[in-house]
Amino acid sequence: MLKYIGKRMLLFIPTLIIISVVIFFIIQLPPGDYVTSYVAALSAEGETFTAEDIAQLRLQFGLDDPWFVQYFNWVKNIVTRGDFGYSFEYGRSVWSVIMDRLYLTLAVSFVILVFQYGVSLPIGIYCANHQYSVGDYALSFIGFIGTATPNFLLAIIIMYVVYVNTGEVYLGLFSTEMLQNGMRWEYVPEFLGRCLIPLIVIGTSGTCGIIRTVRAQMLDEQARQYTLTARAKGCSEATITYKYCLRAALNPVVSGMAGSLRTIFSGSTVSAIVMNLAIQGPVLLTALKSQDMYLAGTIVLIQAVLVLVGTLLSDIALAWLDPRIRFAERG
Amino acid sequence: MALFKKKTVTDESYYLASQWSLMWRKLKKHKLARFSLGLLLILYLSALFADFIAPYGLEEFSSLYKNTAPTRVYWTDEDGHLSRPYVYKLQKINDKKTFKVIVSEDTSEKYYISFFVPGIEYKLFGLIPTDMHLYGLVNEQGEVDRSARINIFGADSTGADIFSRILFGGRVSLTIPFVSAAISFFLGILLGGISGYFGGVVDNVIQRIIEVLSAIPSIPLWMALSAAIPPGISVSAMYLYITIILSFIGWTGLARVVRGKFIALRKEDYVMAARLAGVSDFKIIVKHLVPGFLSYLIVDLTLGIPGSILGETSMSYLGLGMKAPATSWGVLLKETEDLVSVAQCPWKMIPLIFVIITVLAFNFLGDGLRDAADPYK
Amino acid sequence: MNNETASKETILEIRDLKVNIKTDEGTLTAVRGVNLTIKKGETLGLVGESGCGKSLTSKAILGINDKKCKAEGEIIFDAENLGRVNLLSLNPRGKEIRSVRGKQISMIFQEPMVAFSPMYTIGNQINEATLLHITRDKKKAREISLDVMKKVGIANAEKRYDQYPHEFSGGMLQRALIAMALVCSPRLLIADEPTTALDVTIQAQILELMKSLQKDFGMSILFITHDLGTVARMCDRVAVMYLGRIVESAPAVEIYKNPQHPYTRGLIGSVHKIGTKAQERLFSSEGTVPLALNLPAGCGFYDRCSRRIDGVCNVYDPQLVDIGQEHQIACFACTGCPYGKGGKEEKANE
Repeated sequence: MLKYIGKRMLLFIPTLIIISVVIFFIIQLPPGDYVTSYVAALSAEGETFTAEDIAQLRLQFGLDDPWFVQYFNWVKNIVTRGDFGYSFEYGRSVWSVIMDRLYLTLAVSFVILVFQYGVSLPIGIYCANHQYSVGDYALSFIGFIGTATPNFLLAIIIMYVVYVNTGEVYLGLFSTEMLQNGMRWEYVPEFLGRCLIPLIVIGTSGTCGIIRTVRAQMLDEQARQYTLTARAKGCSEATITYKYCLRAALNPVVSGMAGSLRTIFSGSTVSAIVMNLAIQGPVLLTALKSQDMYLAGTIVLIQAVLVLVGTLLSDIALAWLDPRIRFAERG
Repeated sequence: MALFKKKTVTDESYYLASQWSLMWRKLKKHKLARFSLGLLLILYLSALFADFIAPYGLEEFSSLYKNTAPTRVYWTDEDGHLSRPYVYKLQKINDKKTFKVIVSEDTSEKYYISFFVPGIEYKLFGLIPTDMHLYGLVNEQGEVDRSARINIFGADSTGADIFSRILFGGRVSLTIPFVSAAISFFLGILLGGISGYFGGVVDNVIQRIIEVLSAIPSIPLWMALSAAIPPGISVSAMYLYITIILSFIGWTGLARVVRGKFIALRKEDYVMAARLAGVSDFKIIVKHLVPGFLSYLIVDLTLGIPGSILGETSMSYLGLGMKAPATSWGVLLKETEDLVSVAQCPWKMIPLIFVIITVLAFNFLGDGLRDAADPYK
Repeated sequence: MNNETASKETILEIRDLKVNIKTDEGTLTAVRGVNLTIKKGETLGLVGESGCGKSLTSKAILGINDKKCKAEGEIIFDAENLGRVNLLSLNPRGKEIRSVRGKQISMIFQEPMVAFSPMYTIGNQINEATLLHITRDKKKAREISLDVMKKVGIANAEKRYDQYPHEFSGGMLQRALIAMALVCSPRLLIADEPTTALDVTIQAQILELMKSLQKDFGMSILFITHDLGTVARMCDRVAVMYLGRIVESAPAVEIYKNPQHPYTRGLIGSVHKIGTKAQERLFSSEGTVPLALNLPAGCGFYDRCSRRIDGVCNVYDPQLVDIGQEHQIACFACTGCPYGKGGKEEKANE
């Protein structure tokens, strides 16, 4: 087991290097650079720039170097000093910009992940045990609609419905009072209420996907010979469902966990823009648009690394769950 | 033998049918998949005939009709008798007391809905010049009057007919996923095949790249890539870029499947038998390996299309994809950006229904295909 | 031996069992009125080709057929705790039938490789039955399970107990499966082609093992197979099944010496005996089993039968008729047609 983990860890390093190269390459792809868009923005407001000014700015930001030199410097600073670069837009270090929102982003993602599995596992099991029942059809139908609706539009629909029914507009996780007065205990219920919409919106597509996986897996497992053996032994249906089928059905669910993290990041990006959530999605969008490349690159890099770590963890969990893998790696 | 439900056809042909006709047979039995296939056909046909079905062209708008609700169609006349369906023109009235501009129906003249009326000129299939449209309005004298408009799904913020725009948008939104799926298909088979067939270092490198690409959350990746599209390019170039961006992720999953299948099938006895019989590598791949999993690939693709549709919608919505005057469902939905516009003009959500229906139809079709492709069902 | 078993009491009696399967094409009746009795301590062989309904019959006894299958008729079992009870009348998910499954009737399946869940150790899975039916004491249960594992010839049982199915060979898994079936000393053991998936040498070992265990435990066995060779070795009586019906039933010796039904004769002819000359051809039945969905009227074997009587066998449905001591057969060609040749308006199959 330890050997297996060690082997996976070693593979992690080249992947990390490739991923940072790919991301940096993509981020600097747009023609022009931050100075171009900066000059364009300020020129529109009537400021004038001379060619020297522009050259000076470029030199200052090190934008004249070829992209791989810029990449090398970026990585060098990350590794040696933990410095992820400088955000042109915010005028301070990328890390401090990210830290503003990192905890909330992680908290939101984590809560959604828990919510997804908490909701979809029982529903998936129910659907499999009551295949072709009214409940199964109804839940599957909702699930299909959930996966078919882009979640940022779902956000608007839900906000609209809430607005029509309550006359309130819920934008963001914190109300103005909360921001003014800081968090107090009396705000907690409202805060939780505000969390609900993002939870549903960002969580839905993933949840529906997991329900379908769990349902299909459970049905697969139920058709296996060993359920028959267990039944012939005199086991109760509950034992068969939970001890045998669920245990086996969990494997693909666990291995899909990193994928869920990826859909959460993906879904939250656009939804957060729509719902005005103070997480990293909106920052990423503006950073991309203004070519604030170190900021954009770092955000995408952090998300990708989190997904990779998630993959690693779920692979390890899988190996621990499935004796076949556990032993294959040992022997 | 009352115990048995008799079937007159002895289906000897069942055992002899080819893989594809078997699949087709099973697919026909899958009601939802059949229905979805029909629905998709209708959607694609209406995108193909968009010029003809849509009453208005892509650039036709009327500022009078800005943000107006779906045009009300009357079926009965003033006396309550059933009548040929008609609509009223809109008019602007300046309220002298409140100084507000009110848009209301001008009931002085009726405009009848008529079929096969001349409208804006276009070329059917880009070849046949004509001005015939499926439906339009004629006034009481039976002449075509272009000042009155019928917007069955309402009008957008420029005063263009949303229904017409949905049809034209379908041309983009329905084909981009298809073309990008085709690119993914090609890339997936090629790279997956290389990876699986050659193994070794090549395999390792391709596997790492796939791993990397599938670790980056798709929408941020799409956003980053679309940001790289140079501004001010032509619509068709834009189309090409977006297609390529969307297929950037699609191929990785496919390549993984192909690689897995190659490795698994390489060990199969029938491949060994072919090799022993002196069949060339290329022929083994084309004749024995690929048909062995082609059906799975097609299923995979069908199930992958909804992802690209949603991707295109998201990108256009964020202003990173197609931009007006080009139209796609995502561009149309951009008008629902904020709560206020949805609250005032809920009909602007109608394009969403088309997105949902298309995505669902591809999902159901894919499910049906998957069941049909499974030889053990 | 025949006389001995005849006097013994019946442990299981199947009366007019039908199993219907819902398919996309419609409902097909895969088991069409089977009658069987199994006596205490005897081994009954149920023989037939794949798809003739043997497995469905055996699973119907335990009520573990697929949801799509519906069983009708009566399966009377002499249960320890419930007395004589119709198993089909019990709720298939209820407590009563569960107290019968594993404890009083247990089953060995065809493919030992897939009969165990790969997720749990062999010991865990054997022990489950012990814990369910015998004792709640885990330590005791473990001892009982280990004891049975040793009895079925699993060497190094203590070590094997904590191993996973993928660490076992096919033969060992079948032994473990037998151990699991025997751990509660059932009154009836259903063995559904227990040796099909195994090597020939292992097959012989497993059969010998089952025979000796039957002596030790004193149970009855319903032995299901398509292989007449094993039947000769194992069984006291044999029932031959074709297309959801019993077509011939007789003591094992009788069926070898004096097979009557053309199908049985065919089956016996297809067994390769030592001494067969190379030039002699083995018998092979013509054609395949027809799909039960588009079954023609009359005897199910009509199309493939060498002795068919046109106008009788394709019109009427043969019923089991006594033709000797414990020897029954359903064939017009052998027993003559009660309706007369050519037939009248009264049809047997309505």
